[in-house]
Amino acid sequence: MFGVLDTSTSALVAQRVRLETIAANLANANSIYDAQGNYSPYRRRVPVFAPGDPTTGNASGVHVARILIDDSPLRPVYEPGHPHADANGYVYYPNIDPTMEQINALEASRAYEANIVAAEATKSMIQASLRLLA
Amino acid sequence: MTDPLGLIPSTSALGGPRPARPTHPGQQPSVSFKDVLMKQLEQVNRLQQDAEMAIEDLVSGKRDDMDAVLIAKQKADIAFQMLLQVRNKMMDAYEEVKQIRV
Amino acid sequence: MPALERLVQFTTARHRLLTHNIANLSTPYFKPVDLDPKSFQAAMREAIDKRRKRPAPLSGPLEIRSTRQLRFEPNGLQVKPSPRNENILFHDQNNRDLERLMQDLAENTMAHNAGIQMLASEFDMLKLAIRERI
Repeated sequence: MFGVLDTSTSALVAQRVRLETIAANLANANSIYDAQGNYSPYRRRVPVFAPGDPTTGNASGVHVARILIDDSPLRPVYEPGHPHADANGYVYYPNIDPTMEQINALEASRAYEANIVAAEATKSMIQASLRLLA
Repeated sequence: MTDPLGLIPSTSALGGPRPARPTHPGQQPSVSFKDVLMKQLEQVNRLQQDAEMAIEDLVSGKRDDMDAVLIAKQKADIAFQMLLQVRNKMMDAYEEVKQIRV
Repeated sequence: MPALERLVQFTTARHRLLTHNIANLSTPYFKPVDLDPKSFQAAMREAIDKRRKRPAPLSGPLEIRSTRQLRFEPNGLQVKPSPRNENILFHDQNNRDLERLMQDLAENTMAHNAGIQMLASEFDMLKLAIRERI
């Protein structure tokens, strides 16, 4: 029965990673330079979930299999005077839609709460079973 | 230990009570203590069996009123505890009577 | 008493599956799996009715027929869960239904706790009878 708590915890961890990537996406919605100062527009990060939990070897649960880098086209903005404008005067900014990110954040927090409820249910079942002994 | 009325069930968890005093048949046409005792034993047993069957019906889905099943189990348990206490008192009384110096 | 044991084994196994489903709410291509409580109840009913026809209707072993999902062994329950099949397929190919999952979790938890409580009171009565003093 204690292995069931591992399942819920793995889901909490995965949803938290998802929220963190969403926060990173929102924070970098207008970053066109990378950490070294080169011109490299930020690309949206997307976590991909898969069932199973490799850290505990458990077949139940969920984990983040990898973090995809979204390669959809960047958003062009007409800025002819910008030092990194291309031949037509467009500068490419990250293609991050704040509405989409917020909706994903809502879904992640809903899933987080559902897993908290599941963990509470597990705890109450274990405690009830312990009462058999007392 | 005799069981003239055959009412003591084999599933009784007590191991069978002993009547504290022998009855005097024919003295009065009133109900004897042994009859009362046997009847109460039978009732306790029936309550226990009813509770057991109610729980089985709840598990198998034949009934879905959990509160009635819990109440039936409580009734059976209380009846059993009462029977146990009566039996203890009767044993104590019997021990006391045994001590009487004739 | 054996009926209650089987109930607790069933609710424990089902709880594991429900937690796994809830953990994988946002996993693409995941199909939730479940155990059917109705078929469990039908199998129990059959076994209990068969035992009641015998001369000792409340004692003796319960011979429960195995269903497609459950196999009743002497010391446990082997489960083979099957897909739930109830909701539309979302864009991530996941056909979860969060509300039904939470409802099933709540019902399963309550059934488990009720079964544990009834088992505890049966054991208490036996201990009381052995002790002979309340």
